[in-house]
Amino acid sequence: MTVPAAIAACSVSKSFGGVRALTKASFAADSGSVHALVGENGAGKSTLIKILGGRIAPDEGEVLADPALRIGIVFQELTLLPYMRVADNLLLGREPRSHLGLIDRAAMPGLAERSLAELGITHIDPRALAADISLAERQIVEIARVILASPGILLLDEPTSALVEREVAWLFARIRALRAAGTAIVFTSHRWAEIAAIADRITIFRNGSDVGSFDSIDETEAITLMTGRRLEALFPARPPAPDGAPALELAGARAAGTAQLDLALHPGEILGVGGLAGHGHRALFFGLFGAPGFIEGALRVAGKPRRIRTPRDAIRAGIALVPEDRKSEGLFLPLKVRDNLTLPILRRLSRLGAIDLGAERRIASDTIARLAIRTPSAAQPVGALSGGNQQKVLLGRWLLTKARILLLYDVTRGVDVATKHEIYELVVRLAREGYAILFYSSDAEELAHLCRRVLVMRRGAIVADLPAEQLSAEAIVSAAMREAADAA
Amino acid sequence: MPPETSSLTLPRGSRLGHTIAQNIGLILAGSILLLAILGFVLIYALEQHRLPGNFELTSTVNSAMPLVFAAVGQSFVVLTKGIDLSVGGVVDLANAMAAVTMGKTLGSALLWSVVILFVGAACGLLNGLLVGLGRLQPIVVTLGTLSIFQGLAIRVLPQPGGAIPPSFTDLLVNPNAPYALIFIVLLGLGWAAFRRSRPGVDLYAIGNDEAASRTLGVNVLRTKIIAYMLDGLLAAAAGLFLAASATAGDATTGDSYTLTSIVAVVLGGVSLFGGRGSAIGAIAGALITTLIVDILFFGHVDPLFQSFYEGVFLLIAVVAGGVIGGAIRRRR
Amino acid sequence: MKAAMKYLPRLAPESWRVVYAIVAAIVLFLIGEAVHPGFLGLANVETILVIASFVGLVAAGQCFVILIGGIDLSVPWVLNAGAIVLATTSMGLDARAPLAVAATLGLGIAVGAVNGAGVAWFGIPAVVMTLAMNGIIEGLVLGFTGGFTCAACSAYAPPVVQSLAHGALLGVPDALWLWVVVIVLVSAVLSITRFGRATYALGNNPRAAVLAGVDARGLTIMLYAASGFFAALAGIMLVGFGGQASLGMGDPYLFTSIAAVVIGGVNILGGRGHYLGVAAGAVSLTVLVSVLLALNMPDYVRSIAYGVVILALLLAYGRETET
Repeated sequence: MTVPAAIAACSVSKSFGGVRALTKASFAADSGSVHALVGENGAGKSTLIKILGGRIAPDEGEVLADPALRIGIVFQELTLLPYMRVADNLLLGREPRSHLGLIDRAAMPGLAERSLAELGITHIDPRALAADISLAERQIVEIARVILASPGILLLDEPTSALVEREVAWLFARIRALRAAGTAIVFTSHRWAEIAAIADRITIFRNGSDVGSFDSIDETEAITLMTGRRLEALFPARPPAPDGAPALELAGARAAGTAQLDLALHPGEILGVGGLAGHGHRALFFGLFGAPGFIEGALRVAGKPRRIRTPRDAIRAGIALVPEDRKSEGLFLPLKVRDNLTLPILRRLSRLGAIDLGAERRIASDTIARLAIRTPSAAQPVGALSGGNQQKVLLGRWLLTKARILLLYDVTRGVDVATKHEIYELVVRLAREGYAILFYSSDAEELAHLCRRVLVMRRGAIVADLPAEQLSAEAIVSAAMREAADAA
Repeated sequence: MPPETSSLTLPRGSRLGHTIAQNIGLILAGSILLLAILGFVLIYALEQHRLPGNFELTSTVNSAMPLVFAAVGQSFVVLTKGIDLSVGGVVDLANAMAAVTMGKTLGSALLWSVVILFVGAACGLLNGLLVGLGRLQPIVVTLGTLSIFQGLAIRVLPQPGGAIPPSFTDLLVNPNAPYALIFIVLLGLGWAAFRRSRPGVDLYAIGNDEAASRTLGVNVLRTKIIAYMLDGLLAAAAGLFLAASATAGDATTGDSYTLTSIVAVVLGGVSLFGGRGSAIGAIAGALITTLIVDILFFGHVDPLFQSFYEGVFLLIAVVAGGVIGGAIRRRR
Repeated sequence: MKAAMKYLPRLAPESWRVVYAIVAAIVLFLIGEAVHPGFLGLANVETILVIASFVGLVAAGQCFVILIGGIDLSVPWVLNAGAIVLATTSMGLDARAPLAVAATLGLGIAVGAVNGAGVAWFGIPAVVMTLAMNGIIEGLVLGFTGGFTCAACSAYAPPVVQSLAHGALLGVPDALWLWVVVIVLVSAVLSITRFGRATYALGNNPRAAVLAGVDARGLTIMLYAASGFFAALAGIMLVGFGGQASLGMGDPYLFTSIAAVVIGGVNILGGRGHYLGVAAGAVSLTVLVSVLLALNMPDYVRSIAYGVVILALLLAYGRETET
């Protein structure tokens, strides 16, 4: 290469509390091109983006960026300030000043409206609070804010995760315009179709290192590089088709933000639920777990009608929920692995309120062994474990409750490939043991390989019920993205 | 024609709708203030058989002044998602210093006032540094500094006493006319300007989400230090008003301002979780708090029961505010 | 040195804070002896520990609510109301003492439960709820006793209560025995009961605790009720110690109890810390005041030193682990 890159990382490494996120990763992006970073969740893409943007410092290695170019970053976790107006968020740090030198708050919505219109956004009200607009709109505002600062280098970390097809089309039009204007764009996504559509160059990441850069590469080859093994080897064989009466049935159940939902989940079944983020999956899963419960409709567990208003009701009915965001909704990070495992079953382990510590210790070490949780001891704070092992602790907690219905909500998110494989094995084994498993994943590939049936949700409704013979990642994604008019 | 996706057809709220929903705390505080004023006038008229006049207005405004300043100071820190328990200590210290230093002339009183305001800001700087650099929670930092400032106040003025020049009292809390309202107006204008400055915007940003603000390039440490310094400065001003009202000093009368300033801020619609509310609300909250005392007084409520009614009123106001605010947000 | 380190128990950072708090208390005792020989005399140590036990009782309740990220600002007047209720209902008679003690503790529990209900059911911030409650109790107590001028208000505590505060068993003051029992019970509750585990879970991550089946509302109410109970218990002990209830006797216990909790290594945001550290914190604060008194330090020096030592201890081991 004769032209020096706009931004480059030279064998950077980074660890977080003993867990390696990046190991000697290298990468370079040129001006006027779109460079995609591709890899599994947990492959180190987000960490690299943060290091490129100067938000965190690498432990080793260095980042070289053209000092003349301003860097703009769109983070995966949205950074909008909830109780400030969209206009305040868009113009933060670049507010218009009145003749007194003060910030002209009254002029900001108008200015924000014009700025958004220049980017082709006319449906977002700049006077609304950021907390009051939808997730997709927040993501668009986040992107717009960064683009409006006219960066020479634009880093986008999973910018499409909450967007529907036409919003993705909008984003790609902006990216093409910026590319034509000479901006260097770095982009991460795990939707292959998007990458193929926009990327000029692709760098594949696995386990914190780059494993190759390509101008074009076909999907199968890319996935093999990403996962380090063929897909068939990553996923275990599906459990046999279930028979018998459903363990869990929903009839006309509706939660805030969903349509009326009907489904039947059988023992021994892994029933997949797919679709884009923000389309009612969360309301379905948390509704089944009583957090909060459904507003209307009927719910039957093992054929008997049940009222589930709180998580306690759900736990009593033999239902367990493993949420996606294990740090904020699942685990108590500073507490011991043992405490995290046994919290819901302490009633069983106690006499007169006092815990039988011996029995608890045995149960904790059994679970650690059974799920191959890698921890120095049961007394280790769970926050010191790697993401995959944390997820196993959470799974272990619910297996201890003797729940027979498992609601697994995107459980492999942010988990390394090896642990992912172990979790797949575990899920299939549990299904073979007769657990009824409702399985949501943001990764269509996962659904296609683990489930015999997948329900696809869009805008709060179940819009497709794909049987085994029609199952593929493409079928799931296309059902999720199809606009209402086409579906009708 | 296929329908557009949901996100593109959302109806826009009207400007007025947004303004109401986004300032609901302030509007509620204003309504409570209005009710309190009406209640005061009503009770006064029933008991005294005439409407309250210049004297009542003046004495109410004058007695509210220290709390107005202390509450505005507190609101800066609460907006950053902090809390300041040392307000009372700074009021004490300023009050004690004023009584000891001011002497007989207005000139020296004004000169020392400036010094005392600086001392207040320095107290705030200490708090800000401990919170910002020391990585300690605001509540525990200010618990420690409260004790330090109280000690300093007693060192300065071991026994109640000292003197405040009458000309200084006339300037700050003139007993003949409600001139002190001018200070409230100035405070409001000062706030409006601050709200429209870099630190003003950053104050709200870190109260909304400190981690995100840092990511967005907000200078968190600088903003916190500014907030605590302004808080200290205003608490010192509260001490000056207190000294001017009492025309003498006492190193312990300011203690109560720690808790009353928090009450005023809460009544003024400032969220204790940071990032929402404004100093204007805190001013309203301070006036409400003062008026409630007056209402209870003119209503011939046994003064021994006074804190009972204040406590009940605070709870009712907070619960009602939460219910009404929630209903308005949901309706949109 | 390295070799010695190997024999130190492997403790979580949170447990180390308990150790630091205990070490701080011991060091303060030693400083007392250094600057004022005779400070470590048995009688003096006993007195200090008895006075510390009152702080320790209030701080036990404060510790429970702070562990779930709450705070109890109603402590001063719950304590004061407890003292006055004990004096007025017992009228100084031993025969009425059991009833009076039960009434006092019941009052504390009831007030605390209302605090908890306000926080848990109405979503009122703990600062506001307990601050308002403090005013409400203050107004009721002052109003109904005519500002402590009622005939029964000057009643002495029943002799049996006074002897609880002043008497001794096996050479150890009864007040200390009571505190030891409280320390053992509270520590056991926190360490090895379902209640304790749920408290830490709720304090660490309320959302996850609810999703793990913890009854957050019920637990919150119980914890605030416990705080009310301990404030009332401290009121009983103080009225026994001083003989009579007095106006404002609870006021010093508000900030002192919070200070004892935080220098005992409990995170003010909840979820982390233990009562063993808090008990040490209560001792530290009392020792500090005693040393300064023994040195005949004026008021203002005590006040300043108090603040400085709290901040110094917090800077030494009470900082947030992450930025």
